[in-house]
Amino acid sequence: MEIQGLSKSYGTIRALDDASLLVAPAQVFGLVGPNGSGKSTIIKALCGILKPDSGSVRVLGLEADRNRHAIRERLGYMPQTPSLYDDLSPAENLRFFGGGFRVPDLDTRLRSVLEFVRLWDRRNDPLYTFSGGMRQRASLACALMHDPELLILDEPTAGVDPALRQNFWDHFAELRSRGRTIFLSTNQMDEALRCDRIAILLNGKILVTETPEAIRSRGKAHITLDVNGGQTSMEVGDYEKELPRILAEYGLGPQVNRISIRRQSLEEVILDLIEEAGPG
Amino acid sequence: MIRNVNLIAVRINRQFLRDRRFMALSLVVPVVLMVMIKYVFESLPGLARLNVHIADYAILFAAYLVHFLAYILSTIVLVRDRVTGTLPRMFVYGYRRREIVLGYVAGYSTIATVQTALVLLLTKYLFDVNLSGDLAAIVLTVMALAVVSVGLGVFISNFARNEGQVFPFVPMVVVPSALLSGIAIPIEDLPTFLQWCSYLVPLRYAVDVLTGVVVQGESFFDQLPSFFILLGIGVALLATASLTLRERE
Repeated sequence: MEIQGLSKSYGTIRALDDASLLVAPAQVFGLVGPNGSGKSTIIKALCGILKPDSGSVRVLGLEADRNRHAIRERLGYMPQTPSLYDDLSPAENLRFFGGGFRVPDLDTRLRSVLEFVRLWDRRNDPLYTFSGGMRQRASLACALMHDPELLILDEPTAGVDPALRQNFWDHFAELRSRGRTIFLSTNQMDEALRCDRIAILLNGKILVTETPEAIRSRGKAHITLDVNGGQTSMEVGDYEKELPRILAEYGLGPQVNRISIRRQSLEEVILDLIEEAGPG
Repeated sequence: MIRNVNLIAVRINRQFLRDRRFMALSLVVPVVLMVMIKYVFESLPGLARLNVHIADYAILFAAYLVHFLAYILSTIVLVRDRVTGTLPRMFVYGYRRREIVLGYVAGYSTIATVQTALVLLLTKYLFDVNLSGDLAAIVLTVMALAVVSVGLGVFISNFARNEGQVFPFVPMVVVPSALLSGIAIPIEDLPTFLQWCSYLVPLRYAVDVLTGVVVQGESFFDQLPSFFILLGIGVALLATASLTLRERE
């Protein structure tokens, strides 16, 4: 997938501002950013349900505007809100939405995806009897129905309990190993760490696109040394470069009682990047 | 295409059967309104003096009710589909605009058929109107009117961002339909410019057919020009709705 110079405004609000992204196949790509940063706008543009003001979108190698029907057959979309019919059951919803794509052997596929999201036992209950997390699971099942090459998921684990979240991520890893591409948005930093690459989005602008580890290495490290009963603390920017220098300076002799190193978490680094970028 | 249209129609009817409030609105409201019309008009002493047979107007009111309810319900439901995200999801899941529009027409036609049957039964028993000879003409006309209503509903739904915004559009259809269709005031009694405006009101053509067949005792064949204009408006509205149904924000 490739997004080049994508911009979109709603009245005076600039939802996307010259955003560009490149997503390689067979990876889990995370779009990370606070609420209102433009994550859903990018996702809608990729699915062809948003007309950008300027810029271009290519999905699965095809120009998205002209080929949106062909692209949709190969992608699975999970919106931020469950967007299913509340008065119908998960089975009825999946049959309806799966029906648009003529899923072969619909019954077997239906059972397989509903078992995966642990809703097979509730398959005939109306969705209005479900909790928010259960609706999210039904929505994900819907996106998986036609076994698409590309999954575009808008905050797929919002409201899902930790054990099932783990299952979702195991399934994403399994899909990736089968060559599927997963493009998802999240504001859970531990999930960002599980992506192959992430893009950080703020006020419609992409601040950085890197692997999670490369982004974390931009953060600071707090090093505390207990030397001869005294304590020295310092904050270093490039931890991997600075650590050997500090060790060389203070030595590793008996006078050093303790060395404590605390690197910034990915979440802290991302929050710093967002803070540096400022509100505008 | 037919398969997807059918999937949408079946889904709409399944939802209709599950949603008790929606069902009540669609089926109980026409009954209550028809009963109300009967008692209100019977209590007007001036009508008898003017030699007005309210039974002659009953079938016209019935058509008006079906038109009005099908228009309101299809607009609201489509806007709700857009607001809850099920409409964009349908687009992403392979449904095309024309399939969605025809699916809604097919789905609502079933509901409108039930409404029509109910209202006709009420007309027959409440107003003692003999419909037996004209039943096919009446049903065909009311069905064509239902197609117009849904086409209009789909088209209007493009202009509303939420269910609340549908309401300003209600009088735009309902008031001209009541005043310019010939139900309340004969068209020839209207000022000339309003007579011209009445040609734009779809209900006018349904009223022409129904008045001819039920009140004046003419054959349906004599009313075919008005019937085909009504049908033509329906087809034109469906084509417009298919072209204008917003797929992208």
